[in-house]
Amino acid sequence: MSQSEAGVVLAADRHHAHHFNTANEEFDACKQGMWIFLVTEVLFFSGLFVAYAVLRVFNPEMMHEAHHLLNWKMGALNTVILITSSLTMALAVSSTQRGNIDKAVKLLWVTLICAGGFLIVKYFEYAHKFHEGILPGAQWHYEELKIAKAPLFFSVYFVMTGIHGLHVIIGMAIIYWLIRRAKRGEFGPAYFTPVEITGLYWHFVDLVWIFLFPLLYLVS
Amino acid sequence: MSNNNHENETHAHHILSDSMAYKIFGILICLTVITVGVAQIDLGAWNFAVAMLVASVKASLVCLFFMGLKYDYKENSIIFSTSLIFMTVFMVLTFSDLLTRGDVYVKGPIVPESASGPAKSKFKKAWIATPELVAHGKEQFQAQCVACHGAEGQGNGPAAAGLNPKPRNFTSADNWKNGRKPSQIFGTLTKGLNAMPSFASLPSDDRWSLVAFIRTLGPHEGEKDSDADLKKVGIDPASEDGGGGGEKSIPVGVAIDQMSEEK
Repeated sequence: MSQSEAGVVLAADRHHAHHFNTANEEFDACKQGMWIFLVTEVLFFSGLFVAYAVLRVFNPEMMHEAHHLLNWKMGALNTVILITSSLTMALAVSSTQRGNIDKAVKLLWVTLICAGGFLIVKYFEYAHKFHEGILPGAQWHYEELKIAKAPLFFSVYFVMTGIHGLHVIIGMAIIYWLIRRAKRGEFGPAYFTPVEITGLYWHFVDLVWIFLFPLLYLVS
Repeated sequence: MSNNNHENETHAHHILSDSMAYKIFGILICLTVITVGVAQIDLGAWNFAVAMLVASVKASLVCLFFMGLKYDYKENSIIFSTSLIFMTVFMVLTFSDLLTRGDVYVKGPIVPESASGPAKSKFKKAWIATPELVAHGKEQFQAQCVACHGAEGQGNGPAAAGLNPKPRNFTSADNWKNGRKPSQIFGTLTKGLNAMPSFASLPSDDRWSLVAFIRTLGPHEGEKDSDADLKKVGIDPASEDGGGGGEKSIPVGVAIDQMSEEK
């Protein structure tokens, strides 16, 4: 195996599944598979983005009033938290590629903690909304905003952020699994596929939030 | 499959340098600050454009550097781009349908009178129910109301499923937010209520006929208007055509334009 700042070539003798010619080929196939999965993720979220767009185009006034019930400071804090976790994830991948597993494990822990922090902020936001009665659809019993279809905005808000939050929780489980495997010494310059493709997944979670934040919290 | 163009002993996986990672992180944080800052200033429609532009730049940076598309095989970029193409198709087809539905769903009489003055009343003292008025109201009800309020007026039409609060059940005396007097129902029709739009674009005769018909659906006989009630909705009870005060019918096209301008 060769290794340098410029890059790393997977070892020719590295064990790989029998239907691949080389470990490199296996790595490329895994990564491409992850990209295809992310395409399905975009399409999955696009249904929600279209629903948001329809609601917005037909009810600009309602969207303006309803989005003031969201706390943009909480949203901004979560944006910074997720971007930070993306940074530590990217650094964890490069550390693994360079063989610095101790550092990679630490960075994965930081990523995991950031993800937890994101969920804690989200918990406080949700708890506040539940308390006020700002609930989706028919559950709505918030008396101070009497504008038609505001409950619909919160249906979209809760479904979009809820599904995004579910992705964060799944990501946390996978990152924890990575930490366990990394500690067992399973990753290094010769094999880092799970770290790399989990990284892709985690950055995607960040990508979705990059759009959710302005659309839900800021846009008026 | 041995002739895979990926298989290349000299191909090296790119490792993102720490300095580059921190640089990208710094830019992403700056862009977040910019988005939040711009949102505090009112730029009208530009707020949305700027927010989406900044979000797209951030997303591109994450894709290119953190996700490594810049250094990766082009085909992974192409694969990912297809998702954005299909998302665009989804958006365009949805809106090309929704934004052209107005022509299909706006029924009712289109009254070309805003230039030539109010239309001649078809009914004298339309705020007083007559069998003819009720019959006309029934026709109007079929055209305008059944989708939400249901054929029987029980508030259970096909479009009611997605509505909260539910459309009014006309067969019951309960929960009428604005009251059940003719003038009050007329006011609700004219101004709209919750999810129900204003029907001010209908000639007032048609609105009064709807009032008359709706009041036959339930135990509403006892709720009567005083002259003062009628005056509140701009009707002069002494005049045969209501003094024209309540008559503000405008063509549907004008009404739609007005609604879209009321941002």
